[in-house]
Amino acid sequence: MDKEKIITLAIESSCDETSAAVLEGGRTILSNIIATQIPIHRKFGGVVPEIASRKHIINIMPVIDEALSKAGKTLDEVNQVAVTYGPGLVGALLVGVSAAKALAFSRDIPLIGVNHLEGHIFANFLSSPELKPPFVALVVSGGHTSLVHVKDYNSFSLMGQTRDDAAGEAFDKVARVMGLPYPGGPQIDKLAQDGNPLAIDFPRALQEKGNYEFSFSGLKSAVLNYLNSMKLKKIEVNKADVAASFQHTVIEVLLAKAMDAIKETGCDTLVLAGGVAANSSLEKRLRETTAKNKINFYYPDKILCTDNAAMIGCRGYYQSLAGKYSDLYLNAVPGLALQDLE
Amino acid sequence: MPILAMDTATMVSSVAVADDKRLLAELIVENKLTHSETLLPNVEQVLKLAGVKREDLAAIAVSMGPGSFTGLRIGLAAAKAIAYGLNIPLVGIPTIEGLAWHYPVPGVTVAGFIDAQKGNVYTSHYCWNGSGFDEIKSIEVLSLAEAVDACVKVAGPVVAVGDMVAKKLVKLDNLPKNLIVPPKHMLMPRAANIAMAGLNRLAAGQMDNIMDMEPIYIRKSEAEVLWEKRQQALANDAAGKDAK
Repeated sequence: MDKEKIITLAIESSCDETSAAVLEGGRTILSNIIATQIPIHRKFGGVVPEIASRKHIINIMPVIDEALSKAGKTLDEVNQVAVTYGPGLVGALLVGVSAAKALAFSRDIPLIGVNHLEGHIFANFLSSPELKPPFVALVVSGGHTSLVHVKDYNSFSLMGQTRDDAAGEAFDKVARVMGLPYPGGPQIDKLAQDGNPLAIDFPRALQEKGNYEFSFSGLKSAVLNYLNSMKLKKIEVNKADVAASFQHTVIEVLLAKAMDAIKETGCDTLVLAGGVAANSSLEKRLRETTAKNKINFYYPDKILCTDNAAMIGCRGYYQSLAGKYSDLYLNAVPGLALQDLE
Repeated sequence: MPILAMDTATMVSSVAVADDKRLLAELIVENKLTHSETLLPNVEQVLKLAGVKREDLAAIAVSMGPGSFTGLRIGLAAAKAIAYGLNIPLVGIPTIEGLAWHYPVPGVTVAGFIDAQKGNVYTSHYCWNGSGFDEIKSIEVLSLAEAVDACVKVAGPVVAVGDMVAKKLVKLDNLPKNLIVPPKHMLMPRAANIAMAGLNRLAAGQMDNIMDMEPIYIRKSEAEVLWEKRQQALANDAAGKDAK
């Protein structure tokens, strides 16, 4: 079969979006349906796992059905099913995994379990048809911060990841303390536009050269301590300055390590991936710096930065080319990490 | 017209294939393995044992709860997707109605005791009507003692079924005289029962909509309960201030 004609149905339910997509070949999105639950979780100040799972079980079939009908494809035409099996919320993941296994079983077609974080990296192949490995990927999402040397479609080397809080977690926590609504990342980004990024000097961890690990819990505490001490002293804080200075610190750390990784690997391409890739200041700073250093820079369209099934389909497609399928015993792995892959 | 049935509401994972005339094959497994790993391989296995091809299945029946929230969703997500993949109808059966099919005896009430955590049970009562079961006491969450008490008020024998029977009920003193505790292998869900109840539903022309079906949870999530409590407290505070 012509691999450009392979039809992949992909399913993603790792957190608070239920999504299904249909891809033709590895890079043509025929549909990418996303049912978000953000408004439902907002009143709780964060994603409630049990509520997320309850929404997934209602949304899963309508989302799959809509993805197929929007793609103009019938189930008969689907050649394989790809699904996120981790990392994420276990109860949420299980809805997608269970449905994907049952679909693959009932149609007697191959099943491909996909690592959500690898999916985020592969979102770039959908946004940028000309992009090819090798490159360095900076993955920045709610739960993860990592630098990955992507040598080929099925060959990765993990250069470093977060030791404690992910960048996205720090954003959400700081936003919550400043009284900004969930999800906090975009709110900080917006508020920071009117602030002075150099107003407050927050600490940067693990600055030594050649260290590609991240740590944001110290920074998070420093921001919270700053807010607390100002409150005790009854000094009104400029929230925009706090947001801008905090965000600036995160971005400079990410930028410095990403540029070091480019140098060490000898890659000429940097790729940004994950939910925090939608942060406009991060994207702008990386774009400017890479341009100055004659490094190619890619980041996904906004919609492909969020959790979506199209990126899972793309990753699944390239796994299938290497024969990396799953069997019907596939289970959800909530703590699944990015790993070296040869 | 073979029907595939599954029950993943408790620690037991059970799948069965039956038709109008007989039970063709059934698996009932209670071990430490998770439903998410074993359900689909078990489905594949039971179809092989029954000699039924997947594309020859005419319907699916699934245990809808109450029970383990995650277990129920694993079963329902799989059932929905198989129904969709094969384009066949799906019927949901309350878990305790499924359990009642252990005892299709006129004049006997079957009382379900499903673990609802923190010493509580999901409980409801069913009676055999000659061809199926009538729900005579609708499902609710009670403390184990209250649920036992509800059996005292029933005229005639009551058979206790469900995962809380072996776990907690048998350890109570002074069980009501009309309460019968069956042997351990007759307490837990089995998919053959779900298949029988499902065939009844289908014969009556009933089916569920896979596009909006959800498990029978009975209970809200902890987060919702806490949130509502907090809202209530805030409302009370506000009312208190207004009164002043």
